[in-house]
Amino acid sequence: MNGNAAEAYRQLKANPYRPWPARITSITELTETEKLFEFRLIDEDVREAFNFDSGQFVELSIFGVGEAPISISSAPSKQGFIELCVREAGDVTRALHAKQCGDIVGLRGPFGRGFPFEEMKGHDVLLVAGGLGIAPLKSLINHIHDERHDFGKVTILYGSKNPAEVLFRSQFDMWRHREDFDLVMTVDQPDPTWDGEIGLVTKLFDRIDVDPANTYGAICGPPVMYRFVIDEMRKKQMDVDRIYVSFERRMKCGIGKCGHCGVGHQYACVDGPVFNYWEAMNLQEAI
Amino acid sequence: MFFRVMDKSRLDDLVRGLAKQFEVVGPVAKGDAFVFGKIEDPSLLRLDYDTTILPPKKYFVPQSEEILNFRTADGSVTADSAEVASRVLLGVHPCDLNALMLMDNIFLGEFEDPYYKSRRENTLLIGVSCEPRQECFCNAWNTDEVHWGFDIFLTDLGDRFFVSVRSVKGAELLDRYVTTREIEPGDTADFQRKTREFKDSFSADLDTAQIPLLLDAKFDDPVWDELGQRCLSCGACSMVCPTCYCFDIKDRLTPDGTHGARVRVWDSCQFSEFAEVAHGHNFRESRASRVKYRYYHKQWGYLSKFERVLCVGCGRCQRACKADISPRVVIEALQGGASR
Repeated sequence: MNGNAAEAYRQLKANPYRPWPARITSITELTETEKLFEFRLIDEDVREAFNFDSGQFVELSIFGVGEAPISISSAPSKQGFIELCVREAGDVTRALHAKQCGDIVGLRGPFGRGFPFEEMKGHDVLLVAGGLGIAPLKSLINHIHDERHDFGKVTILYGSKNPAEVLFRSQFDMWRHREDFDLVMTVDQPDPTWDGEIGLVTKLFDRIDVDPANTYGAICGPPVMYRFVIDEMRKKQMDVDRIYVSFERRMKCGIGKCGHCGVGHQYACVDGPVFNYWEAMNLQEAI
Repeated sequence: MFFRVMDKSRLDDLVRGLAKQFEVVGPVAKGDAFVFGKIEDPSLLRLDYDTTILPPKKYFVPQSEEILNFRTADGSVTADSAEVASRVLLGVHPCDLNALMLMDNIFLGEFEDPYYKSRRENTLLIGVSCEPRQECFCNAWNTDEVHWGFDIFLTDLGDRFFVSVRSVKGAELLDRYVTTREIEPGDTADFQRKTREFKDSFSADLDTAQIPLLLDAKFDDPVWDELGQRCLSCGACSMVCPTCYCFDIKDRLTPDGTHGARVRVWDSCQFSEFAEVAHGHNFRESRASRVKYRYYHKQWGYLSKFERVLCVGCGRCQRACKADISPRVVIEALQGGASR
């Protein structure tokens, strides 16, 4: 870190509520309700000081509308740009969807505890995503991809409601044919074009082999999905403290103060949003 | 810590002296209750107050506060900490002094809050001893005493104050504005007698044994449904609480939309949308779950990080609640069923 970046880092820390201007550098329509946005922090030193882990999130500002917590979809290994996969769901995300390339928004972060990437090295990884839950997991998948030789078998199970809601489809269609990733996609409601699996993501567990002593799990999806996926992982004898889940909560401040993201006795924004299942089991009403 | 004795008749000198240098805030009468307000006239200061409607937290986290100003078009932000008045809070009870130290763990810990910090640094605290009211249960959490977290503390000995001096600033102010004398053995004896009387004057003890653990063990107890049916979700308990710190953040625009401010306002976990996420899922939809969460967080969540419960036994929530829900009621309900 050079002197300017160190100063930028100090400024980042001096007021954790301060959003930094970021320019939208690319917008990709993924589905009817989701777009992938790529941002570049305008201040070079702030950009250089912005380092994150997969599973962490940022607070996105649309000035005059407000802020929303969004998990980062790009890999930490991708320098200089931040990708957010955003569903149009509330005021802030609606306003973001109305933005054009070149428009400026605010970003602050990164916040929270992400996936234990270093700890996962040397092991097999089983990633299970449902719907928009693929967004934070995509960061982890891309990061693993960039350091592929450090990992054992990598299996990705991805469930969507229907083919129109499959996110990152072109990228995943390409990956399906790779030798070093075992990617299986499934939908509940197929259409004639669908050539993947049909049914809930939990059904895919029948067809995979897991080496329980050597496998880390990572799960992200709608609240209802966790219990069922964890049951399947437990049936495969995976350890409770090697199964990681990422929770969606209403992180308003991102820094453990506003109280909105309370989950059990902890705050998702600083203690999570990624927890291992042993921790999650000890959080009341978490799963 | 060192100690002085100040004749009660000198209190006016102190207030007048402080007013030369600071905005002086203290308890004043409002209707049949008391509030913390600016002391324009020393004779209006009521150090004999029982409690105030709102705790002093409003001087550190105001009900509504601009934390950023921005220009909409290019997202340029100014985030200067507000100009903060140099202020003295005079006449703060031990419960409220302890509450501020609990707030410090949140606002001055990881991700230091610059707005809270500047107010904290610009505010002197002068505590005063109190007489327990029927609702008080600070003794249950050991927050009936305060050993630091103030500049000066005045213990009322009838005709005089036993003055504990904690900080350099406090010592300087005493020196500059008021005549005090050294303590004598009789003063210390009276201080001890006063303390004993104080400790003996609390109403029935509250049985706090194993409460953090019981909150988990009785998480599905029907007592929560019963409390949930009574609760009105009005949030008054949070507003009057000296340790409730939750807030909401909103943007406000100028009429032409070119500029705006990001505003932080008090919030409460008792409000129905508090734990709702963007696409509409509400993690605490029922009142029972929200009442439970408030106690769960105060007596276990916060404790799991800071080894203190997030309650100082001030009794304000009991007074504010229209549905007779209070820490005493909840704790007694949780202890229910045990043979005593």
